[in-house]
Amino acid sequence: MALLEVTGLVRRFRGLAAVDDLSFTVDEGQTLAIIGPNGAGKSTTFNLISGLLGTHGGAIRFRGEDITRWPAHRRTRAGVARTFQIVQPLADLDVRDNVMVGVLFGAGASSSLAAARAEAERLCALVGLGDRLVQPVASLTLADRKRLELARALATKPALLLLDEVMEGLTPAEERAAIALLGRVRSAGVTLLLIEHVMSTVRDLSERVVVMDYGKKLAEGTYAEISRDPKVIAAYLGTDDA
Amino acid sequence: MNFAHGEFVMLGAYVGFWLYLAFSGPLGVGPAVSPLVILVGIPVSGIALYVVASGVYRLTLRPVLRQPELNQMLLTFGLSILIVNSASIVLTPQAKDANLDWRFDVLDLGFASVTYARLAVFVVCIALVLATYALLMRSRLGKQMRAVAQNRLGAQIVGIPVDRVYEIAFGMSAVLAAAAGVMLIFTTQVSPFLGLATILKAFSIVVLAGLGNLTGVLWASVLLGLSEQFVSQYVPGGSALRDGLFFVLIFVVLLARPGGLRR
Amino acid sequence: MRRDLTLWAAFLALVAVLPWLGVADDRYLLFLSNVMLMFMTLALSWDVVARTGQLSLAHGAFFGLGAYGVAIAFKQWSVPPLVAIAIAALACAIVALAVGVVTLRLRGIYFAIATLAFAQVWQTVMLQVPDLSGGTVGISMPPLFGGDRLASYYLALGIFVLALALSLAIRWSRWHYAVTAVRANETVARIVGLDVVRVKVALFTASATLAGLAGAFYTPFITHIDPFDAFSIDRSVASLVFPIFGGLYTSAGPVIGTIALRSLEEYLRVTPPWKDGYQVAYGLVIVVAVLFMPRGLIGLAQRAVRRSPWRSSK
Repeated sequence: MALLEVTGLVRRFRGLAAVDDLSFTVDEGQTLAIIGPNGAGKSTTFNLISGLLGTHGGAIRFRGEDITRWPAHRRTRAGVARTFQIVQPLADLDVRDNVMVGVLFGAGASSSLAAARAEAERLCALVGLGDRLVQPVASLTLADRKRLELARALATKPALLLLDEVMEGLTPAEERAAIALLGRVRSAGVTLLLIEHVMSTVRDLSERVVVMDYGKKLAEGTYAEISRDPKVIAAYLGTDDA
Repeated sequence: MNFAHGEFVMLGAYVGFWLYLAFSGPLGVGPAVSPLVILVGIPVSGIALYVVASGVYRLTLRPVLRQPELNQMLLTFGLSILIVNSASIVLTPQAKDANLDWRFDVLDLGFASVTYARLAVFVVCIALVLATYALLMRSRLGKQMRAVAQNRLGAQIVGIPVDRVYEIAFGMSAVLAAAAGVMLIFTTQVSPFLGLATILKAFSIVVLAGLGNLTGVLWASVLLGLSEQFVSQYVPGGSALRDGLFFVLIFVVLLARPGGLRR
Repeated sequence: MRRDLTLWAAFLALVAVLPWLGVADDRYLLFLSNVMLMFMTLALSWDVVARTGQLSLAHGAFFGLGAYGVAIAFKQWSVPPLVAIAIAALACAIVALAVGVVTLRLRGIYFAIATLAFAQVWQTVMLQVPDLSGGTVGISMPPLFGGDRLASYYLALGIFVLALALSLAIRWSRWHYAVTAVRANETVARIVGLDVVRVKVALFTASATLAGLAGAFYTPFITHIDPFDAFSIDRSVASLVFPIFGGLYTSAGPVIGTIALRSLEEYLRVTPPWKDGYQVAYGLVIVVAVLFMPRGLIGLAQRAVRRSPWRSSK
């Protein structure tokens, strides 16, 4: 069954279509990656799905329900979580408290502080921040901030997790650890939707790939299929990755 | 956003007022007083306020520019209190009046009548607005300012000295405030407290027009000016109510366009 | 948390017995203690809004509305003073809710300016409705508890305890996480599931109600209110300079800031070269605090403790 169904999505900025008649579906348990050159509209698509931007056309359905007009926080409570490409830790809160915010107000919406703290500590340990619980976020390395971003998103108990370039800026070793971690997240029953530039990650993690260019869907298929598609090679792989 | 902006207007008005005193008193230039106050006063107070503003910027504003918005608002609000109250001690709290003999002379246009003073203010201000418009649209600096306003990071990447542009923009806004202050002495009294009312009116105009929209600002100003006159003419007890008008206006606009005016 | 609550209990006990330590015998000290409690309430209530990252310039006006509300309710409907105080606070809550719903959806700066405009308009409004407000003359009211300042001290203490309870409840509940997230980054706050507008409106309304309560205490305390006193800018400034100086986003900061600055103000007022110059000092305090001591006196104290060689490990 389709967990997320996007049909005919449109978003313009000053007349220019950043996302133009985009449609795709994500099935429960499946991992879909969105790839495309810079400025193809990938992050805008994420902003539309997570509710940070309003749509100019089209519909977004989550678990069969039309969420196109829902505010962002309501989508999160229904089970849509996301990370940001430019990591955004909450200043004034330490590592554990950052994650606690997600536990307290996400889809799990716990009202007990003690329970939320325990859950936050569990998640911190899961992503590998178990020994930095009370560290101020300003002192974290980039890799740790990425972990924190992931832990905070997981804390909201998502059914669908949007990951915006989680591998960017990581060393190869950190990248392998992250892929293993995402594998565990997926086997825990979370459906993943990725924006990714790192092709090896796309290959290793995703079952289907959507290629975007100029706001439109250029191609869709398995990694093997799209990497043979001449349109894709011309627009993307040929110039960037090959 | 700068809560001390109204205080720049106030300081500009005082500079204009002192020049008026100098010209009409010891220098005794006679009937040339008013044109001289405009011609000399605007550059002089403009330069003075530019210096003040860039000092304020470097010493206080630049350090908090990357801090949360609340800190920036608090800082300029603190500056505003500091300047108003220092002025009220140094310059005495009494309102002062430039006794221009032609201030209440009326020009009859048939369909309406205006005082010459207001007409002069109108002409000078239109000239200033046009100059600002030209600067923002045509000059290199203006383009840089618009770029920084739209996307600070992007502007930095293409090599615009963002900090410097901020400083100049801040200084320029102080120059315009100073000019507005000089022109104020032709229509109203000068006091340390004139900044607050000025900035609230200015803000309601900007809210009405949308931030960064210069032509919108002109229309909004005309609308506010006309509705103020209308209320004070035709609504019973309206002359007092007109001070509350800007507030009603802000609320109506915010209600009508709740998504925020910039988006 | 437990240590904090113990300290607050000790502080409240001290404040409760203060009149019996000689303060009740000195008319001036008793008056000043009443005023202090009132300003602590105002400062605590302003800080609650600041915790969400919003600048309210309307707290002086809500104080004024409370002050007028109590006088009008007492004069027009002849209800007992304590009931009038409750009515005034309720009125402030309703007005704040309306203002908040309209303006708190927007970026912070629009809210700040709207509250400034709101604060400015009330003086004019009160002068326009002399039948209700008494015009420039204002309204007089018999003193609370027949002029017993000791009794009114305990009423002020009660109102202060309400404000303190709100402030502490926010600190030690999920609200702490909500407001800190909203202040740090509204986008992230929304994305973790927070209804940001509702958080801001709820706290603004609660906070304005407390500011109104402080004002509702003021009129029967000094027995008279007029538009210039009720809506003076000085009180708006006080409501924010006290918490900034003491330490933002804490409960102790506004209390300590009020005690420190209000004492200084009392001193400067009777010291010749200053007189009304304390307003200049307040402007300076804000600028210096924002630039050099972002967590106020509390922050300075914490830094000193951290550096102290006698610090015991917890």
